[in-house]
Amino acid sequence: MSQPSLPTRSRLGGGVRDAYTATRRFLIRGRRQPDVIFGSVLIPVIFVVLFGYVFGSSISIPGGNYRAYLMPGLFAMSILFNSNNVAVAVATDMSEGVVDRFRTLPIARSAIGVGRSVSSLLLGVPVLMVMILCGLAVGWRVEDGLGNAVLAFLLFELFGFAIGWLGILVGLLAGSAQAADVIISIPTFLLGFISSVFVDPSKMPTWLRLIAYWNPMSAVVTAGRQLFGNTIGPPPSGVWSLDHPIVTTVGLALLIVLIVVPICVRLYSRSTR
Amino acid sequence: MSAPAVLAKHLSRSFGATRALVDVSFEVRGGTVCALLGRNGAGKTTAVRILTTLLRADGGSALVDGFDVSTQAHQVRTRIGVTGQSATMDELLTGSENLETIGRFCHLGAGAARRRADELLRQFDLLNAGNRLVKRYSGGMRRRLDLAASLIAEPNMLFLDEPTTGLDPVSRGEMWAYIRGLVSAGTTVLLTTQYLDEADRLADTIVVIDRGLVVARGTPEQLKSSIGRPFLRVTLPDASGAATDQVRQLLGDEAEVQGRSVSAPAADGLTTLSEVVGQLRRLGIATHEVGLELPSLDEVFSSVTDHSAGPEPSPTPVGGEA
Repeated sequence: MSQPSLPTRSRLGGGVRDAYTATRRFLIRGRRQPDVIFGSVLIPVIFVVLFGYVFGSSISIPGGNYRAYLMPGLFAMSILFNSNNVAVAVATDMSEGVVDRFRTLPIARSAIGVGRSVSSLLLGVPVLMVMILCGLAVGWRVEDGLGNAVLAFLLFELFGFAIGWLGILVGLLAGSAQAADVIISIPTFLLGFISSVFVDPSKMPTWLRLIAYWNPMSAVVTAGRQLFGNTIGPPPSGVWSLDHPIVTTVGLALLIVLIVVPICVRLYSRSTR
Repeated sequence: MSAPAVLAKHLSRSFGATRALVDVSFEVRGGTVCALLGRNGAGKTTAVRILTTLLRADGGSALVDGFDVSTQAHQVRTRIGVTGQSATMDELLTGSENLETIGRFCHLGAGAARRRADELLRQFDLLNAGNRLVKRYSGGMRRRLDLAASLIAEPNMLFLDEPTTGLDPVSRGEMWAYIRGLVSAGTTVLLTTQYLDEADRLADTIVVIDRGLVVARGTPEQLKSSIGRPFLRVTLPDASGAATDQVRQLLGDEAEVQGRSVSAPAADGLTTLSEVVGQLRRLGIATHEVGLELPSLDEVFSSVTDHSAGPEPSPTPVGGEA
């Protein structure tokens, strides 16, 4: 491992500066990929139409509007998909030799990963804005005050930050962009669909229902619904993570960050190939 | 004498069952150019990746500028410039943005990074392309930008992994000129190459690597004289018997005929060449081509690596890829 050569305070300052430089680089790149931007805006819009109207016409939620129930789920899904993009982008980066160049520079070992995750959050903000506008257009409303709604989005972003690092981990380990895409797409779909993101799990078979209830995505979405005041869905289930969705989401995000970030930093620091 | 700029001792590294480096030791003195010469897959790149802190060695140790690449990676990284084999520039950034990003990573500060980027773009004749995306650069421009990028922090020690592989002859000559310029300014260079002529032109010392082992080392002159003599080859317009016989007699006892060309050792190099050309003209023999061929990399290997590879090295043209 590299040894600290600078006093702690300036190392921290250097780390922040390196992370800023890396973020800046990823943002410039992000701006120059109009196809990726177009895709990440278009897919959520398609989802709103597809689930809000195509499937939604046949889905009834006790006591309310399915599209109001759906929108917090789609916000969380767009964040989940963002981590897919991160995994593919990181794997691409690794195969191109750019990261090797960065590795030979005297930068903080965390800089590239932090830059990647922060920039992907920032690039996700416009997508979320489009989703919010779509949601408002199809009848979703903030029903528990703007403050709580802001908290809900901050919670989603925290969760997005954490699973963004999972995306980075997959990208670092996958070996190729295609492999990264496959490896992360499967859990993404399972997490997204076997949950309360799109439907009320209470009508699922028992074994599937248990999985859906304990699925972290259900906790994240339930937290969002509570904070938005979109609590028109199913009654509480008696599952701890759903009874305390905010605590669960924050705890889970911190746990992922604590475990995954150090691994990613190590992987970024040296090559194995 | 001062401590060597690079000191590699018994480096080894395997990837699964493949032993990329078995046991490689060498040193590079400050202010000189050392070439690691070897075929694809010989272990050159692995050695450079270990020395530039990109990869850990399984065994052995290495010091760069007196710092251990394994335990003092950060110090090593502040002292070296690296140009990798694969493109290490961001395609979606302009040349100028790429250099600026690296300048900021080297802690120059935003303004200084910009100024240094401009300076290097000018130095490498890329000023007009500075605001163009790198994906629109030609191969030669990319290599120049890569080299410029490794010079941002003005390192004393430069690692160049196959700096001219895949370049056309003109770009290749330009790269050589840039590298020579850096060396004359006092930079120590470790480069890898598959081309004997490149090592010959640029390096003070050559370390020949094959299958993860050092099989020969020395100055270009020492190496070439240990490997063999240059060959003279006369190619005739056609394989007609009479002219071939005449040329074979002219070239002496060791002459060998292969199709329409005749070759023989040229003990005195250029002197032999000019004598033969003079005699060919006097005898009125029309030739397609007359040339001197240096010992090839194949000969280096067949003479310094295992002998089962072939007892009699056949002369093959050197610099055919140049």
